[in-house]
Amino acid sequence: MKANHIFLDNVNLHYASVAFKERSLKSLLGGLLKRGRPSTEVQDVHALKDISLEIRAGERVGLLGHNGAGKSTFLKMVAGLYPISGGRRIVEGTVRSLFDLSLGFEPDATGRENILYRGLLLGLSPKFMRTIEDEIVEFAGLGEFIDYPIRTYSAGMQVRLAFAISTAVGGDVLLLDEVIGAGDANFMAKAKDRIAKLIEQSEILVLASHDFGALRSLCERGLVFDHGKLIYDGPIDETIDRYKVANGIAA
Amino acid sequence: MKVKHVNRTQSNLSMAHSPELDAVPAELRVAPPSPQERQNAVCAYLSGIWNARYFWVHLSLSDLRYRWRRSFFGALWSIMQPVGMTLLLSLVFGRIFNADIAEYAPFILSGMIFWEFITSTATGGSLAFVQADAYIKQCHHPLAIYTLRTALTNLLVLMMASLGLVAWVLVVMPHHFGWQWLAALLIYPIVALIAWPLATVLAYVATRFRDVPHALALAFQTLWLVSPIYFDPALFRNGGLHVLVDYNPVYHLLEVVRAPLLRGQWPTSTNFAYCAVTILALTLLAWLVGRTAERRVIFYL
Repeated sequence: MKANHIFLDNVNLHYASVAFKERSLKSLLGGLLKRGRPSTEVQDVHALKDISLEIRAGERVGLLGHNGAGKSTFLKMVAGLYPISGGRRIVEGTVRSLFDLSLGFEPDATGRENILYRGLLLGLSPKFMRTIEDEIVEFAGLGEFIDYPIRTYSAGMQVRLAFAISTAVGGDVLLLDEVIGAGDANFMAKAKDRIAKLIEQSEILVLASHDFGALRSLCERGLVFDHGKLIYDGPIDETIDRYKVANGIAA
Repeated sequence: MKVKHVNRTQSNLSMAHSPELDAVPAELRVAPPSPQERQNAVCAYLSGIWNARYFWVHLSLSDLRYRWRRSFFGALWSIMQPVGMTLLLSLVFGRIFNADIAEYAPFILSGMIFWEFITSTATGGSLAFVQADAYIKQCHHPLAIYTLRTALTNLLVLMMASLGLVAWVLVVMPHHFGWQWLAALLIYPIVALIAWPLATVLAYVATRFRDVPHALALAFQTLWLVSPIYFDPALFRNGGLHVLVDYNPVYHLLEVVRAPLLRGQWPTSTNFAYCAVTILALTLLAWLVGRTAERRVIFYL
């Protein structure tokens, strides 16, 4: 078996502009009729520009960049959710990603049922989910609410449950997008331990965050994104300095 | 992210034609796949569907639970509803066409439940990706599992409903019971393999053009009118419209059930040939559309 790694060669990614324009047959036909007349239109967004890099097994990589620089797009591209429009992308190993935690709950089903559902979504078997169910229930610490429908939960409780489920199973390649802030202070401490354990199990970590402390303690390599371009790739301390310079933050 | 304003007149579905990308040197673009790679991609896709089996089976079962939640008769409704509808219709049509109600009613019932399966899978399936956007944005599964979910849900409802048909035929026409009924069982895989790719094609298109479900309702009504679903095929033949029967896949599909159950005969090889060609054509179409559309769906959600 090949070692887990991420290899990107001149990867480009465009968001199709049609996706955020009016999307009906009417507008398409209208566009055809008006062909002769030049009009101003929203162009495809070039979200990642010529990204080339390699991440090998054992590396811990932090992503830095201003909002909209392409960090999340980069993670979703690595996860295989977004198609690339040019270049080569090779990712070996099972990818586990923590992006938007509260997505995909069934509000009418109980917390316990949702544990199973979320596990199935991640491609796990019902048998395996039963073995880790108790541990998840225990970690979420929702007490008897675990047998209540999700729609009776507060936002914080939903996040706790989502976090407990999503972090119960690790993968070779772990992609995190600023999920560390979840729940109250008590839960935060538990959550940090759990993330640390998850990171330990994984072979590759890619973490997008604005928390310099977390980046320094977790990662040794850093990438700086700026308007879709990779402008720096190196040791994490220098990465943070470069990020501050690029964004005009006093060091 | 920069949003550029450029003079452009044609809205294009394809990102591959964007001028910015044309500026990328040719050697950096994704090379067209070789036949070998294409075959691997198809295999990987199918195994992805298989690996996610727990997930789509679960989705489908929870759809069913949701459908019958808090209703007194629950799953029984899927039997009672078409049977009740058939009773009403056969009273009216039986009079109009001077047909024996006991014989004509199962004809209508068989047409109704299978037609209902196809239309609800196609219209429901066309919104399958939109409905599953939370899952699609989080996890990378083959998209066809979401239309498979719709197809499976409706197939289970169809199986329930066909119990009503079988019971009716056994009571009214018990002499038709025989080995040929085994052939009628083939209708389930056949009808599922027709509806699934059909729903998938529609879902790809409907994610981009949300007009599809509306247009679909019209299309199915037209198809219903020109097919021997409620109307006796003899009516079409006598009216000089045998084309609408002999070359109509809907007719041949229904014959797989009607020949054994209603007439005690084996379905003909022509019936099966029409079904097979329909399955192949729709699967090929789904593959062709999916080849380019599959990856782009996430942008439209």
